[in-house]
Amino acid sequence: MLAGSAAGNPGVVARPITWDAALVGHHLAALNALFATIQLLLGIGIAWRPTVRVALAASIAWSLGVWWFGEGLGMVLTGDVSPVSGAPGAVILYALLAVLLWPADRPASVAPFTAARAVGAPVARALWLVLWLSLAWFALLPANRAPQALHAMVAGMTDGEPGWLAGLDRGAASLVAHQGLAASIVLAIALVIVAVGVCLPTPAARGTLVLAAVVAAVFWVFGQALGEIMTGGATDPNSGPLLALLALVYWPVRAAVTAPDHAASAPEGTTAS
Amino acid sequence: MIPSWILDSFAAVMLLVAAASAARLVAARSWPRGTQRAALADVDVAHLLMAIAMAGQLVAGLRTLPDGAWEVVFGLLTAWFAYRVIRDARVSGVRALAGGHCAPHLVHAAAMLYMFLAVSAPAAHGAGGMSGMGGGLSGMGTLGLPFLAFGFALTLIGYSIWDLDQVSGPGTSGHYSLAAARVTPPGPVLAGVGAAAVSASATSLAPAAAETPAAAEAVAAPLVSAPADGTGVLAPWVATGCRIAMGVTMAFMLLIMI
Repeated sequence: MLAGSAAGNPGVVARPITWDAALVGHHLAALNALFATIQLLLGIGIAWRPTVRVALAASIAWSLGVWWFGEGLGMVLTGDVSPVSGAPGAVILYALLAVLLWPADRPASVAPFTAARAVGAPVARALWLVLWLSLAWFALLPANRAPQALHAMVAGMTDGEPGWLAGLDRGAASLVAHQGLAASIVLAIALVIVAVGVCLPTPAARGTLVLAAVVAAVFWVFGQALGEIMTGGATDPNSGPLLALLALVYWPVRAAVTAPDHAASAPEGTTAS
Repeated sequence: MIPSWILDSFAAVMLLVAAASAARLVAARSWPRGTQRAALADVDVAHLLMAIAMAGQLVAGLRTLPDGAWEVVFGLLTAWFAYRVIRDARVSGVRALAGGHCAPHLVHAAAMLYMFLAVSAPAAHGAGGMSGMGGGLSGMGTLGLPFLAFGFALTLIGYSIWDLDQVSGPGTSGHYSLAAARVTPPGPVLAGVGAAAVSASATSLAPAAAETPAAAEAVAAPLVSAPADGTGVLAPWVATGCRIAMGVTMAFMLLIMI
């Protein structure tokens, strides 16, 4: 699995992946147990308040490492990725969430949404825009515009899944058969709407965040088969739940109070409601 | 295939939890009846039974009772905590279903019952007996209702994270802190378990009492003064720590059973 993520990547990215895959292949059980232990400790460390900063920092480093060595930088350099199947890689979203949810000393009352508490609203909005616009870009890649691209992707998720989930995926696959281009365009439009949503007034922003959650759910159920957890071979729940969580942390905070220097620069409706 | 030393490690943690829970039950005997002793008993008994059962599932050599007996035990515990949750809900409303004292224990008991039922099912159809989960992973048939296992695992992880956050919060000793708890006299006792009712929780009743007159009346009337805060093995964090360890172990078991 690890070696597969080297394919299509530039040599400078692929060589360390190949080395890492060989190493893991020789010590599979021990290293897998080590990785699981590290991730368990990261989770406990984040939940344990005295260690939350250390654990979050470690989780960022861990995420970047896994994104490279385990996911081949989400395959974004290969030109053959789709947001439906989890691009740009679920693990990089963990790092993004760790940054956005970093415990901040600034009062919650000046942040228009939770994600803005650590890095400020402009940076948080910029990160959101980069993420969702990149998803829109991926949706329009030639590999995803092919007539049967989306159909093949969704239909390919049924192996090993419970009957009800496989049935759902087969139904969805039949709906998009030979509709690759149209589906890509519709998806890209939806993703662009989501991207710009955080810059809109509060009511519209809420609407686009709901759309983001819906899109995340569609990705997770139909494009990712719930992260293939039911097959017994999954290593993570994939990107669907993380995108939904991201939408949640951008939800406008009802009690937000506009700071004097904030009011002048922030778009209407995104600083207080 | 999960390496056996991992299963052994989890089993060792479960034995520690069982020992701590047994120690808490013994230590609590010195307290007067009708005080925190009652509040601690059913939770510690549940922890003790679950830890012993899970150790037996993880390592074949630690098996104690047949699966059928455990199914009865956890069926009773599930019914008991369901009763407690319903009783809590009558006082503090729907919050008891999510954040109350007994709801997490109900989920733990139900998850244990599910695990035994799901693992036992193939054996009942002639797929071969279980010799602990280590043998079960290689010899077990498909797990019934895997989505249920996933749901239980997510819920257990959620409760564990919640516990960790609460127990490490500033100035707290966990949301089960009995230091400030006001506990009702013992309620009905579960046959064979000896557990008296923890009243709607240290945390779910008191806030409810502050919010609604009816709840306040329900709380205030039967209250007795809590004795001194539990220390040593009776410290609240010990019970919370046991529950976190069990939640993590149970979630691990459920996920590898999928």
